[in-house]
Amino acid sequence: MPASAAPASATAAAPAPVSRRRLLQASGASAAVIALGITAPTASAEEGPQPEGLFSLGVASGAPRPDGAVLWARLAPEPLAEDGHGGMELRDVTVRWHVAKDPEFRQIAARGQALAQPELAHAIHPKVEGLDPATDYYYRFSVGRQNSPVGRFRTLPAQGADVESFSVGVVSCQAWYHGHFTAHKHLAAEEELDLVVFVGDYIYEYAITASNLWRQGVEVGPAHQVETETLEQYRLRYALFKLDPHLQAVHARVPAVAVWDDHEVQNDYVGGGSSTGIPEDQFAYRIAVAYRAFYENMPLDIEALPEGPDSDITTGFDVGSLARFSLLDTRQFRDPAPMDAEDQQDPDRTMLGAEQEAWVTERLEQSPALWNVMANGVVVAAITEDRTDMWDGYPAARQRLLDAMVASSNPVVLTGDIHKHVAAELLADFTDPGSGTIGVELICTSVGSDGDGAKTDNYTDDWTQHEYVKHYDGRRGYIHLRFTPEELVSSFYVVDWIEADDTAPKQLSARFTTPAGDPRLIQA
Amino acid sequence: MSPRPDTVTDLHAEPALARTLLSWEPLGFDPLIDHFRIYAVRGESAPEEPQESDLIAKTVYPNVAHTDLDPAGETWTYTVLAVSDAGRRGRPSAPVTATSQPSVTATGREIATIGAFDGRTLEHHLAPTSYAQIPEEFPDAVIEYEQGADEPGAAWPYLLPGPGDAWAGKKPYRARWTLTLDEAPQADLDLAVWLVDTTRLGGILRVSANHEHVTDIELPVGSTRGSREGDATVPGSTLRRSFHEPALPAALLQAGVNVLEFELAEGGWAAWDAVGVFARE
Repeated sequence: MPASAAPASATAAAPAPVSRRRLLQASGASAAVIALGITAPTASAEEGPQPEGLFSLGVASGAPRPDGAVLWARLAPEPLAEDGHGGMELRDVTVRWHVAKDPEFRQIAARGQALAQPELAHAIHPKVEGLDPATDYYYRFSVGRQNSPVGRFRTLPAQGADVESFSVGVVSCQAWYHGHFTAHKHLAAEEELDLVVFVGDYIYEYAITASNLWRQGVEVGPAHQVETETLEQYRLRYALFKLDPHLQAVHARVPAVAVWDDHEVQNDYVGGGSSTGIPEDQFAYRIAVAYRAFYENMPLDIEALPEGPDSDITTGFDVGSLARFSLLDTRQFRDPAPMDAEDQQDPDRTMLGAEQEAWVTERLEQSPALWNVMANGVVVAAITEDRTDMWDGYPAARQRLLDAMVASSNPVVLTGDIHKHVAAELLADFTDPGSGTIGVELICTSVGSDGDGAKTDNYTDDWTQHEYVKHYDGRRGYIHLRFTPEELVSSFYVVDWIEADDTAPKQLSARFTTPAGDPRLIQA
Repeated sequence: MSPRPDTVTDLHAEPALARTLLSWEPLGFDPLIDHFRIYAVRGESAPEEPQESDLIAKTVYPNVAHTDLDPAGETWTYTVLAVSDAGRRGRPSAPVTATSQPSVTATGREIATIGAFDGRTLEHHLAPTSYAQIPEEFPDAVIEYEQGADEPGAAWPYLLPGPGDAWAGKKPYRARWTLTLDEAPQADLDLAVWLVDTTRLGGILRVSANHEHVTDIELPVGSTRGSREGDATVPGSTLRRSFHEPALPAALLQAGVNVLEFELAEGGWAAWDAVGVFARE
C-alpha cells in the first residue's frame, strides 16, 4: 500500500526553503505516544471528575474484520470549544470499553481501556479482537459514571465463507451548512444494513457564512466563519458536523469505512499541491493537520494515523467469498491537473500513484470474491474532457484501472463528489463505444451539499448524453446496496428538501439489478 | 504527553505596501503544530508575555501577512509562538518591529483613479460574479475607458482576462485608459495597480503609456476565487491581494490626451481593486 507521496518541488519558502521530503524525514516520533489511544494501556491515567456530556459526538465503529473492529469515541463535553479540544482539560483520561453480544451488556465478549489524550483531541480508537465472525455485537464506552450511547456492529463473515447477503449504505458530501442530514436519518432506519461507506467530503473546509448557511434553525459563531486551516479549526469543523444526530445514528448502527476526497483538506487540492497558490512545502503543514483531524474523527485503523503530511487510508477487506472491498485514495498520490490536452493524454499520468495502482491491480486480478467493490472519491466513467478533476483528467490511468477490472469478477465502483445520483455502466474502453460493459459505477449524491436540489438541473445533459449513463437525479440522498450470490440490487434514494427541516420522506429515485456474471444495470 | 513546541526562531518582518510580511523557521511535525499564534502591538516595543488581546492571526504556515494596514505606513512589533496538537504552547519568539511601506495612494497627489483602493472589486462592472459576460461585451478583447466620461460600474469590468482563460477565448485582453493632463508632468509620476486576486496561473500584466512600454508587472499566483468573490477584507477571505506601484516616466506623458494600456499578456485574469496615477509630493 502507498507509503509516501512523490517528493514535492522545492518552491520558495520563507525564510529558509525546506523540501517536503526533508520535513517527512523529521516526523513521526509522536506515534508511540498516540498509540495509547488505540490499545489498552497498562497503567491508568490519574483520574479526576469529568464534566458531563463527554460523549456528545456519539460513538462509531469501523475497520471491520471477521474477528473484530475498531471502536471510536472522542470526549467532548463542550464539542464546539474553539480550541478544538472539546472542553477537555489538557490531560489524559482513561476510557473503558465493553463489547457484548446483547444490548443490555449481560454477555460481555470483550473489554478494555484506552487512554484519551489531548494529542488526539481525546479521540480513542481501541481495536477489538477475538470475536466471532458474522456476529452482531454491541459496544459502549464509560468514564467514571458516564456511559456513552450504545453502538452496534456486525463482524465480517469468516474468510472464504458463503454469504447469503451483505447490505451497504453509500453516502458522501456532507455540507452540513447546506441542509439537514435527512438522508442519514433514513439510512439509519434501513432494515438491512451491515456497513456504511463514506466516499468523500465528510466535512467541508469552507467558511460558514450567511451566504451558504442554508440549514434552517441553526446559527454558528465567528469561529466557524473562516476557512479551516489550523488543527483546531479542522477539529472544530468535525465536531460541528458530527453533532448531527442522524449522522450519529448511522455511525452507531453499523461500522463505517471511508475514503476522502478534496474537502477534507481544501477544494481541488492535488497531491501535495494547493488549489490556491500556497507553496507546496508550506501546504504540507495544512495537509498534516487536516489528515490528523480526519484520523482523529473517524473509526480508522492505526495505519491511517498520519506521519506529518503522509497518511495511508488505502485499505481493503473481504466479505467472505461474496465481496472484496478496496478503498482507494484518489487525492494524495495523483498528478496535478493537466496543463493542456496533450498533457491530459500523457500515458504516464497517474491518479493513484504507482504503488497504490499496483496494489489494487493485484487485488482485482487475484480476487477470489464474486463482487469486487472499489470505493473512490471521483467519477471513473468518461463524461466530458473538461472534468479534469475526475478520472476524465487521467484517461490513461483510467484505462489501466479498467483493464485490471476486466481481470476480476463483477467490478463495482462506488463514488461521490458530484452531488448527483448517477448510475453508469463501465465500458472496457471509453474511446470505443462497442468495447462492451465490464462493470458498474454507482455514484452517490450528496447528503447535504447544494441544498434541496432538483431531479434535473443544468448538468443533466452532460451526463445523460451517454448511453452508458442509466440514471441521473440531482436531489440529496443515499444509495442502498444489497449484494447476494445472484445479484446486486442498488437502490437510489432521495429526499425532496433538506434546508427547511429533516422531515422529508425518502423516495426511491431508481433501482437497478446487476446480475452476477453480467455486470450491467437493469432497471428494476 | 508530546513535547512542548520549540520556541519560534528567525522571525523576520518584510515591509510591503499596506502590509507587513512575517516569516519564521518552520518547526516540523513532531510534535504536530496545531497553529502559530501571531501577536502584534503598535509601536516599537512589545510586552514580555504576549497578551491575548494582541492576537492578530493564527496560521498553520510558517508565515503570515499583517494586512489592511494604513497605506501611509504603520509600525508594529510582532511576536509568534507555536501551539502543539496537545494544546501546549511554546515560548514566544524574540520580538521584531517593522513599518509597512507607504503607498503612493497615501503619499502622492491623486491625478486620476478607477475604483477605490479598498480591497474590493465590487464597484467595478459585472462584479462580483458575472465574468462570463466579459467576452460577450468585449468580443475584440479591448476595453476602453475614458476618464471623466466613464464610470467603473459601467465601463471597467472587474476582471481583465488573459490567454490562460478558456472562458474568455484565451486572448490577451487589453484595457485602455484615456486620461487628459492639463500639462506635461515635470517629474515622474507613480502608477498604483492594486489587485484583489489573480489565478493559479499567475501571469504578466504589460503596462504601456502612449504606446511606449512602461513595465511588465509579474502577477503572483492567486487563489482564483476573485472571479466569484468581490471582497478581500471579509474575515477569513482566501483572496490573494497584490499591490504594484511602478514609476510612470514623465517622458512618456504629454499635455492633453494620454492613453495608458494594461495588457494581460501571459497567464490568467487579474481582478481589479483599483488603478490610479499619482504625482509625487
